Amino acid sequence: MTVAGAFLGGASGRLLPASIPLRFFGAAVAYHVLGWLVLVVAPGDWMAFRGGLGWPLAALHLFTLGVLGMTALGAAAQLLPVATRQAPVGARALACIWGLYTPGVALLALGMGLALPALLAAGGIAVALALATWAILAARHLRGARGMPGVCAHAWSALASLFLLLASALLLAASWLGWDVPGRQLTLPLHLLFAPFGFMGLLALGLSYLLVPMFALSPPPRESTQLASCACIVAALLLAAAAVFGLMPDAARALSWTLGATGVLLHLHLMRRALAAGMRKELGRSFVLVKLAWAALLATVLLGGVLWAGVELPRAEPAFGLALIAWLLTFVLGMLQRILPFLGALHAAAGKRRGPTASMLTHDKALKAHFRCHLAAFAVLALAVAIDAPWLARAGAALGLAGAVAFAVFHLHLMRKLRAAGV
Amino acid sequence: MTEAREWTEDGAAHIDVRGLPPPQPLVAILRRVHMLGAGGELIVHHDRDPMMLYPELAEIGWDAERIPAPLGEVRLRLRALR
Repeated sequence: MTVAGAFLGGASGRLLPASIPLRFFGAAVAYHVLGWLVLVVAPGDWMAFRGGLGWPLAALHLFTLGVLGMTALGAAAQLLPVATRQAPVGARALACIWGLYTPGVALLALGMGLALPALLAAGGIAVALALATWAILAARHLRGARGMPGVCAHAWSALASLFLLLASALLLAASWLGWDVPGRQLTLPLHLLFAPFGFMGLLALGLSYLLVPMFALSPPPRESTQLASCACIVAALLLAAAAVFGLMPDAARALSWTLGATGVLLHLHLMRRALAAGMRKELGRSFVLVKLAWAALLATVLLGGVLWAGVELPRAEPAFGLALIAWLLTFVLGMLQRILPFLGALHAAAGKRRGPTASMLTHDKALKAHFRCHLAAFAVLALAVAIDAPWLARAGAALGLAGAVAFAVFHLHLMRKLRAAGV
Repeated sequence: MTEAREWTEDGAAHIDVRGLPPPQPLVAILRRVHMLGAGGELIVHHDRDPMMLYPELAEIGWDAERIPAPLGEVRLRLRALR
């Protein structure tokens, strides 16, 4: 039996059908294009956005739910069975989740952009149902987990954050509908806390302990340090939430920032060691993006500290928002361009003596164009924030759009190759 | 088990990665493959299908062949493609 035969013959396979993760990743690629497109064509000065319905809020959710959330759902659905050493569960449920989540994100973004609360609420309910169902599937995996306690602790914490995030999101949607619900001064900060740092952040950090050693071919990072980093970040989130509720806000914020920064530094220390110990030294552009994402994470922590400390730094708030988006978006796109050909090669090899390799499935020119445009977009956006130039921000968004189109070309090329290989 | 067990038997290199959490088996096997070089052959004792290994092997021009093994074990012969 060859590679493929061995692969197919195993009862312990932990691969989902190719169509499941690929449909999540495909939707993420499409929403990536849409997110930048909305920023290019949105009327008015979206750099002045400080909340409220409109196209800037829609673009933000196209990136967060459409790109980050969609990728997280697909990646975690495939990676958790690997990490927890179990067969994947719920392939049909995952297909239904995608069927609910994908149009849900579109409706939600349209409702925000057109300022139609009923549309927003309809999309929000679909998204919330999809995420809650996904969380139940993920929890089923985690309950039977064997090994990798660091990854599992991050995933459990991300799931707890997801429920807080969903609760705050539904309350915010209800407030747009004019319902009598707890004030936005409570729900909005909780939403802004548990969406990027709680759900996406913890999931990104946790899955890195599997993905980075896998791609760098290094020993797994020390479990005790993974757990310490996770504990610091969870404690930081809880203290920040306490500050939102007015419990000793100054002390809670200071302690929260210290613990959060410690957790992030521990994580980055483990990542640096994993890369240094890895057999594979040349990790290509994808890991340049991942390293730049880590730099953006550090910038996010520093700017967050500046804002919480009340230091008068001009444009600190938009700079913080930009660093936050740059961290998560750059990390996800860096990992995605590595995961997609790898996953494709796994499936394409099935039933063949010799299937296409991961490097045969990629499209280097398109990824090079994406790399340049993505970095140029964030550099131009940073400059636009610094000098408060809305026209420059739009130019940055146009560069982001060009990068997103290049990434879509890479994805389409991969899908064509996979189809030719019979996947 | 916290580390891979390695030995030579009947002239062939063996590696036992059973019980190791991911991605340790992948890393240990590839490290051994790189040490063996193009003319080598490696028998892998695994407790599951090493899915993540196959694209990595294909990328460096190696192939895996399933060989008979006791119940509960997946045994593979790894060789460079000619």
